[in-house]
Amino acid sequence: MLGFVARRLLYLVPVLVAVSLLTFLIASLLPGDLAYVILGDQATPEKVAALRHDMGLDQPIWWRYASWLGHVLQGDFGRSFRTGQTVLQAVTERLPVSLELMVLAELGALAIGIPLAIACAVRSGSAFDRFMTGSAFGMLSVPAFLSAILLIYLFAVELRWLPATGYVPFEEDPVGNLRSFLLPALTLALGEWPVLMRVLRSDMIATLQEDYIAMARAKGLKPSRILLVHALKPSSLTLVTVTGINIGRLIGGTVIVESIFALPGIGRLLLGAIFTRDLIILQGVVLFVALGYVLMNFIVDMLYAVLDPRIRHGHA
Amino acid sequence: MTAAIRWRRFAQIFLGAAFGLALFAGAADAQKQGGSITVGLELDISGFDPLKVGVFDTAGFTAAAAIFDTLTYLDDKGVAQPKLALSWEHSEDFKTWTFKLRPGVKFHDGTPFNAEAVKANFDRQKDPANKCRCAFYIAYIHDVQAPDELTVVYNLNDPAVNLPAIFTIQSTNNVMQSPTAWKTKGDDYNRNPVGTGPYIVKSWTAGDRLVLEKNPDYWNKGHPYLDRIVLKPLPDAQSRFASLQSGEADIVWDDEYDADNIQKAQKDPKLAVHTYVGSGAQVYAFNTKVAPFDDVRVRQALVMAIDRKKMSQAITNGLSIPATNPYGEGSWVKCKDDGALPYDLEKAKALIKDYGKPVEFKMLLTATPRGRNIGQVLQQFWKQAGANMEMDQVDQATIVPRAFMRQFQLTPWRIVDLADPDPQMYANFHTGSPVALANYSNPELDKLLEHARITADPAKRIEDYCAVSRLVNQEAIWFWTFQNTYYAISSAKLKGLPKIYSGVIDISDVWME
Repeated sequence: MLGFVARRLLYLVPVLVAVSLLTFLIASLLPGDLAYVILGDQATPEKVAALRHDMGLDQPIWWRYASWLGHVLQGDFGRSFRTGQTVLQAVTERLPVSLELMVLAELGALAIGIPLAIACAVRSGSAFDRFMTGSAFGMLSVPAFLSAILLIYLFAVELRWLPATGYVPFEEDPVGNLRSFLLPALTLALGEWPVLMRVLRSDMIATLQEDYIAMARAKGLKPSRILLVHALKPSSLTLVTVTGINIGRLIGGTVIVESIFALPGIGRLLLGAIFTRDLIILQGVVLFVALGYVLMNFIVDMLYAVLDPRIRHGHA
Repeated sequence: MTAAIRWRRFAQIFLGAAFGLALFAGAADAQKQGGSITVGLELDISGFDPLKVGVFDTAGFTAAAAIFDTLTYLDDKGVAQPKLALSWEHSEDFKTWTFKLRPGVKFHDGTPFNAEAVKANFDRQKDPANKCRCAFYIAYIHDVQAPDELTVVYNLNDPAVNLPAIFTIQSTNNVMQSPTAWKTKGDDYNRNPVGTGPYIVKSWTAGDRLVLEKNPDYWNKGHPYLDRIVLKPLPDAQSRFASLQSGEADIVWDDEYDADNIQKAQKDPKLAVHTYVGSGAQVYAFNTKVAPFDDVRVRQALVMAIDRKKMSQAITNGLSIPATNPYGEGSWVKCKDDGALPYDLEKAKALIKDYGKPVEFKMLLTATPRGRNIGQVLQQFWKQAGANMEMDQVDQATIVPRAFMRQFQLTPWRIVDLADPDPQMYANFHTGSPVALANYSNPELDKLLEHARITADPAKRIEDYCAVSRLVNQEAIWFWTFQNTYYAISSAKLKGLPKIYSGVIDISDVWME
């Protein structure tokens, strides 16, 4: 088992290097030289040349990447040229917000998806099942920026139940904190539950046809007990995987949702860094996100191995 | 003077004075102390250290106006009035200005505000070793001297007849920051600014909120009115407006491209739309050194083919206000005749026919929905006149170097709202200036610009600037589409917001009814 874990961890290294190299390349391909961005309307050729030299932009790209990587390996992720904040400061300040958002969104998606999946699986093929399948596809196609605005108009402007934008730190006011996360988390959850529901539904339908379920029914167990205890557990293997992988999708979603709801998370930091060509911050954030994603996949792999011994012995 | 006239004069003065006093008393009563407001801004504030941020963006300006003071401020009529400076005088040639400072003012950290502090602020930005992007805008100032505690002398390279007005904008150059603070805090100063202003920074959560609290020792007794101001970046226009409607924000930044919400707010009695038409304009420059724009007929034809009213309807639902000269409603330069070419499609067609060759060119535009929208509208106008424009959509950051290196045929540009036209007009149109984008040289134009910058009499300067406008309009080397219009939407209870000069939403002296 230990050897397996070490091997999987080792695989992460080339992935992270590849991601950071790609980001570095893409960021340097962005139109608009950083020196021009900084100098703005006084970007005379001499000043640009001088600034490029100061910032090391006149060095070849592989050299710049190598020196960035060298610093990162020593734990120095660099400093934003605009705000003077270090990457570590900026990321650690905003990470809790995005994590809370993602966890709440995923919980919300599970809370909507699991009951609906069970209900559909029990009555598979019924009008209800077909209706929910259709709705799931519908919800999957609604972009987050649209559902966000609709939710804001309904719950913040018309009903005034929840705040439209803003963030309240948990330690300041736990209830206010949850209230400020409710709409953004719901927005993300609305795009996530259909996937979870579809996956669980089909697994559950298969499980319900197993002999031991028929056996349980024959023993006269309560239907709710059969569903929640006997059928749900073995049906949720794929669900666990999909939930984990969904985190990647959610990271993309947070960029949009954090902007609309004005939450000070990683997504906003990333977006701001792109617009201001704050490449050091951009590089740092992408590296952290990649690390998070890769670790999440690693954990899913591990879970798989725990659940299914065939995988950890390498002959799946 | 007959007795009757004298009596009438007296009555006028007396009544005027009494009315004025009544107004003043009324206004004073209405101003309510206490309370707090939340301000919704478009952007994240990146900080306040000039060496770091270079220049403020719209969000930075609003915060800076509350934390810092400037030497002077612009009153309701657009005239410079004393703030940290009490009085000023200038030399005959307008190249030396002496300001007397307000005594007894202290920065939030207790550092005294004096002539040395003013000089330190200037020297730090001017120092070539600091490579401040802000240095560009003080290039016309040679040095600053502090002969005594409360006297500051500005020695200029170029004459500036309106220097006190130029000092009113709450820019990185003009706001006074505490030298002790930036020396002791180093890299952290950017996010821990210290000024003399009516509000003190209480806390700052990056990307979320900047909390300001009333400065109890503010030099202007009785001000400010509010106890607390919370500044929040709300980047999305729809949710920003929703926050205002639901009462989470009391005032929000906006612009005319958010026309739907502005027009909705105008009909809502609970909201107030604040708008100000500044000086300057949204402008475009032809490169007159390359075909087809080396021919004045083509340039004139394109300008005459633009129907600004229709364009305004198409891009901002009619909110954009057409511009016929580079000065705008907010400028003190008013021209009886600015020489603007009229909208005349037939004439435009005739001019292009007369030119004889096909008119095909590329226009630089920003790679934004806004840039594409503007490009498509212009494309249609010009097609009707018989000219083919191809859109060259590039990143905002690419436009500037392309413009500097004259790698364009037609480029968008900006004349921003400044208290005096000289800095920009001289830079944009004088032969040899790096931003004289049209590559156009005309001794008459140069002479007018040189005369206007050393003339004190506003009437004579207006004559010069109107002659400049006529010349530029007739030669069609640049053209102007719309005026710089600024918007803020607030709760109807928010009072005391001054004009949005230079687009700065200054909430430092507002109160809630």
